[in-house]
Amino acid sequence: MADQPIWVSFIVAFIVLNVLLISMAYMTWFERKVLAAMQDRVGPTRSGPHGLYQPLADAVKLLGKEDLVPAAADKWVFLFAPVAVFVAALTAASVIPFGGTLDLWGHEVNLFAADLNVGALFVLAVGSAGVYGIILGAWASANRYALLGGLRSAAQVISYELILGFSLVGIFILSGTLSLRGIMVEQSRSLEIGPLHISNWFILSQPLAFVLFLIAAVAETNRAPFDLPEAETELVSGFHTEYSGFRFSLYFLGEYINMIVVSLFASTLFLGGTDGPGADTYWALGLLWLFLKTIAFLFFYVWLRATLPRFRFDQLMGLAWKVLLPLALFNIFITALLRIIANGQLF
Amino acid sequence: MPWELIFFYIIGAASVLCALGMVLAKNPVHSGIFLVLTFLNVAGIFVMLGAEFLAVIQIIVYTGAILILMLFVLMLVDPDDLPSFSSAAPLQRNLSLVLGVVLVLELAATIITRTALGGVGPDTPASIDSVGGNAQALGLRLYSDYLLAFEVTSLVLTVGVIGAVVLALPERLGERIQRRRDTISLAHPRGADGFLPAGPRGETPITTDIERDVAMQNAGRALIMTKDPDAYTRVGVRQGRPDANDAN
Repeated sequence: MADQPIWVSFIVAFIVLNVLLISMAYMTWFERKVLAAMQDRVGPTRSGPHGLYQPLADAVKLLGKEDLVPAAADKWVFLFAPVAVFVAALTAASVIPFGGTLDLWGHEVNLFAADLNVGALFVLAVGSAGVYGIILGAWASANRYALLGGLRSAAQVISYELILGFSLVGIFILSGTLSLRGIMVEQSRSLEIGPLHISNWFILSQPLAFVLFLIAAVAETNRAPFDLPEAETELVSGFHTEYSGFRFSLYFLGEYINMIVVSLFASTLFLGGTDGPGADTYWALGLLWLFLKTIAFLFFYVWLRATLPRFRFDQLMGLAWKVLLPLALFNIFITALLRIIANGQLF
Repeated sequence: MPWELIFFYIIGAASVLCALGMVLAKNPVHSGIFLVLTFLNVAGIFVMLGAEFLAVIQIIVYTGAILILMLFVLMLVDPDDLPSFSSAAPLQRNLSLVLGVVLVLELAATIITRTALGGVGPDTPASIDSVGGNAQALGLRLYSDYLLAFEVTSLVLTVGVIGAVVLALPERLGERIQRRRDTISLAHPRGADGFLPAGPRGETPITTDIERDVAMQNAGRALIMTKDPDAYTRVGVRQGRPDANDAN
């Protein structure tokens, strides 16, 4: 990793931040359009061509609403909690690599905000810190539906974070690093099996881990069919029942940014990140590949929401602890065994 | 002044203030929030010392799992029901004092030997770099020199897990049937179990009309509710909050 002056890092981080916020806005448009297509509707069409101005209109509407604080609420915790969710969601994006090092106008520019040597764990850590925004906001609302939603969210995230972490252990064993950039570089090597040249994407060597990661990631971001914390049929709207205006929109932003970050994370870990034809020569092509992979994951999210009904809470916990956890441990065991055999340490 | 020193003073001061806030806050949930902030600040200090792995693990394990579970309990318990410090049993209070003093002495001994007397640990930045980073260095130490301590810790944790399972074990079948006889849930499809005649039951569903008639004749028992209806609808009483009634 080339050292770069700190202001270059700041500029890269600034660009990443703004691109994320804009993509979040258009993620809502994408979700509504895809959902509409799956349900044989047309979706937003009124504001702008194909309803493209709709996210902007929504943002203005939310910002213009009154910022209500319930009389019985714990005021400071209530005001602070949505900000924690939003900040945590954005912080996780800082370790996602968007490519290698560029030479722009005589400056060496790294296409990532930070290359932490424990980047993969950092994303998990920030994700778990983000739950506090949900559970504290729920408690501070002084509303039982909200509290129930918050408690559900805490139990769900703790359980599924275990699965998420364990599904990555196989990748760490194979790549020998915890750095997201290291994992991405490892995947851009190509395996040569006889006449075949196969890229070393971890989805090929860790298919079980990929499935586990995908399930756990949906639960971790509180999305359908695991959206128990805000199950509107039973909990009004769960942890954000009492929130309105821009504080509600911070929760909303946080959820969608989490989806985008998890999709970026999954593309980096399992689909080779920016790896693809021509990505070595043109960095913009690498960005395009990463974008397409991320869109595929986001489409999968929306597809799930349109297809599957919501789980019951005991089914959700049973799935995590009785099915996914043993599978994840089995995957770690097999991967470690194969690694030892490949290293020639067993026989 | 170098930037690192300025950042260290800011993070250090913040963590000390949050620790104070944790001890002094009256509301247990506020104490929990301050503890979260303390953990995050200490993780920041770990990062500045080059121990990124430790920082991330501290956030995942302590902030992300243990403290969430503690908050989970605190939010469900009415603060008025919590025992206050002064009312604790004398044995408890004296024991905690002794353990606290021992902990402080331990920390002081470490700080004095490592900092004041200039003793250094076995690892240097060069030796850590040679194995590929501090996650690798920590792993090598943990699984070679400290293997016994590591395994003993895992044994203790296993005991804890077994204890939790025993505590949360579902009641035995006989107790469950007894409870269902005593509590009739009108909405529950199996709430009608209580209408069955006396004798062994629970496993044998009603199959014939004659059996049903016999069962209905014996169904004269009074309805017992676990809570009176008012408990569900009292106004102005909320869970886990001390200042519930003076908010208006």
